[in-house]
Amino acid sequence: MNSAVGTLEAGFLADTRELPTTLDAFLAQVEKRAFRMAELQLRQREDAMDAVQDAMLRLVKHYRDKPAAEWAPLFWGILRRRIVDLQRRRKVRSIVVGWFSGGRDGDGDDMPIWEPADQGPGPLERLHDVQSYADLAAAVGKLPRRQREAFMLRMLEGLDVAETAHAMGCSEGSVKTHLSRAVHHLRDQLEDWR
Amino acid sequence: MNLPNDHRTGHHDEADQAFVQHARELWQEAARRIDPTTAGQLRAARRRALDSARTPTSHATRWLIPTGALAMVALAALMVHEPAPQQLPVTPMNTAVVAVDADNDDNDLPPDAEQADPDLYQDLDFYGWLAANQNYMAAH
Repeated sequence: MNSAVGTLEAGFLADTRELPTTLDAFLAQVEKRAFRMAELQLRQREDAMDAVQDAMLRLVKHYRDKPAAEWAPLFWGILRRRIVDLQRRRKVRSIVVGWFSGGRDGDGDDMPIWEPADQGPGPLERLHDVQSYADLAAAVGKLPRRQREAFMLRMLEGLDVAETAHAMGCSEGSVKTHLSRAVHHLRDQLEDWR
Repeated sequence: MNLPNDHRTGHHDEADQAFVQHARELWQEAARRIDPTTAGQLRAARRRALDSARTPTSHATRWLIPTGALAMVALAALMVHEPAPQQLPVTPMNTAVVAVDADNDDNDLPPDAEQADPDLYQDLDFYGWLAANQNYMAAH
């Protein structure tokens, strides 16, 4: 696994590390991946769009004067916090709905966690490798939150360990621990990929 | 990366690399293939974010809300601490004035009868007659 990380550092993570010179270029570069990240974690298109838009606004408002090299960890950190906020808000809403409905359906079974209905087109409909991405998204979605964040920021988005730690608000050692556990779990869940 | 209890061989490392690379390719493909509507919304969101930096709020607008709030607080404080109507100390002169005013209102007793001089009540008719005569004399 150590050699795998070494390969990632030197090789195929490099293509997203090109430093944009303007905020416009930076946001244009990351906006679609940011949407996918928010969508995968929130599982709701409108919430994902709100999270990305809010992260863009906050980055421009508060950090536009920062060096371009700092934009990526700042942006992903803002987006991560926004996603967590929305998840917590949804959980509170679910609890409130549970209170008013008694938390049980007519048969006395526990009600499912309340999720807003997504009226938009399915996020995977236009993908070539729909099933593979669906499997990946489902497996990543099942990871504990910190492992999921570490995997998405470090492995999928290509931030280095220090940037991932900055975005996650934790130490580099924690990032490595979360990441190794995430890869281990994902490989176990995605046996068909081997 | 230090995996706990990692007994992986070089073969497994290569498998991990391939796994991560495959995941990343799928991830990038998913981002590239976002539907046009969503892509348009993302572009619009980016424009709005960048425009918010280009059009800073004016100085007047920035101070309007705190200034308005301060004015409201000051107004509320003035209304709370507005002094009560001033009452004259009770003296014979004042009671006389009160008595005359009361007479003009066709009332036999002054408004604060309990605090008025008791002697006043005995001469109330006299003061009334005097006031009426003075008015009559002044008219002629």
